[in-house]
Amino acid sequence: MRFLRCVYAEWLLLLPRFTRTRLGISLLALGATLIWLNSRGLEPLTVALQAGALAAIIGAAGLAGSERDHAALATALTHPTTPLALAAGRWLAVVVPASALTIVCAAVTGSQLGAVFAGVAAAAAVGACGLTAVLLLGNGAALALFLCMAVAGAVAPERLVDLARPGVVRLTAASALELGPALWHYRDIATGDWGAILHAAAWTGLGILLASACVARRRSALH
Amino acid sequence: MTDYALTLCDVRGHGVAGISLALLSGEIAGLVGPAGAGKSTLLRIAAGCLKPVSGEVRVWGAKLEAPAARQLIGYAGENAVFPAALSVREILLYYARLHCAVNGERAPQRLVREALELSGLTGDADTRVETLGRADLRRLGLAQAVLGGRRVLLLDEMLSGLDAIAGRDVRSRIAGLAASGVAVLITSRDPAALERLAARVLVLREGRIVRAGPLATLLGERVLEVILDCPPAEPPPGFRVTATGLEAPLRGRTVEAALALCRAHRLAVRASRVRVKSLEEVVLETHDVR
Repeated sequence: MRFLRCVYAEWLLLLPRFTRTRLGISLLALGATLIWLNSRGLEPLTVALQAGALAAIIGAAGLAGSERDHAALATALTHPTTPLALAAGRWLAVVVPASALTIVCAAVTGSQLGAVFAGVAAAAAVGACGLTAVLLLGNGAALALFLCMAVAGAVAPERLVDLARPGVVRLTAASALELGPALWHYRDIATGDWGAILHAAAWTGLGILLASACVARRRSALH
Repeated sequence: MTDYALTLCDVRGHGVAGISLALLSGEIAGLVGPAGAGKSTLLRIAAGCLKPVSGEVRVWGAKLEAPAARQLIGYAGENAVFPAALSVREILLYYARLHCAVNGERAPQRLVREALELSGLTGDADTRVETLGRADLRRLGLAQAVLGGRRVLLLDEMLSGLDAIAGRDVRSRIAGLAASGVAVLITSRDPAALERLAARVLVLREGRIVRAGPLATLLGERVLEVILDCPPAEPPPGFRVTATGLEAPLRGRTVEAALALCRAHRLAVRASRVRVKSLEEVVLETHDVR
């Protein structure tokens, strides 16, 4: 119960950030762009997946990406909370608006319920992964992840790996695309594929744990 | 149970070379010393931000690792950073919710109100943190440190860089907290800042306490200042040359005896006065004696 209250305290940081920083407008712009792309032929399932994943990355950057946010974590850790509660709360703050955007986009584009689930699962997995990336490497990592998800993440690895030369590069690219959170994986959640659901769940759990490890490291960086 | 609010027992590591100290409830102890002496590191170890290689820290007898102990200890860093885009009230509410998660019977708004009053930030409660000046940032640091009824405060350079009015205000607030039973360990690069606040002073150098004691004892020594018509070629034994003449600690001898020594060295004494030694001089003495 204590843990959940700490998570709740953490995620309430989102509300002022949403209206006072570029976070809110960025998410609205993303939603508008995806809906416009849908009117130009982008399929509704891809819209839902992109909405969830890309909004989660934007959220992670907006809520934990800046150097100031990193430094502020150290002050928060001098209060009765834990790195895990802090990471879980930030993850929740990342996922809730991303999921809301997914639902709105799915409603506008007339997606099936399965597509909404797939989009929310993508938001959860990519949000956890994105949170770890920004805590570790800052907003540059968020940009790289955003471009990766927007372009490469939607394509199946077989198609991308064929572009690379055989050898180590090919193997690495194939492994990364197979193991990492990628939207082509999560398309199958729409049809109830358990492998894809477990993949998303595993990345969510692993991402939160890695993010909490990054938060714990900030304790010693207190100024 | 113990009488001590905070005890550090032979703490070593991160440049701290075996420090033991005990702080009573309501006591204000000052840590002074040059940059790199280990003041901030010691505070960070006491706050649990750094793990010592050996030794232990206890808060009211409980090990620092225990959640109950961590709840009692508040820390304000020299350059504390707070989440961006939030107002003072929202930042304190955020921290207050963390305290209420542990101690559910108290409303977070009440904790925020108390912290705002104790730190003197009530008037700036709705100001965004980015627009706060240095003094108000220090007050916000103090507010988040006292939040939740903490009984031990670790304040790193809380008085540094403040103007006279803000400095006096923050000093009086810290003294008020101590009067209510809160134990305070405060560091300062500028010893003068602690002269009107700390009851006990610990002088640190190279990670060790090189001098410690009640402020009144450390500053008890009187110094004779002698103003001369012209600077001496060589000062009499026990005296040192200053910009206006000479000075020397009295150390038991009378003023007349010290002045007689000056006259014996054929020095033209224009005026003299006796003053109390400053904390800065105490720190400099410990630095000079190796």
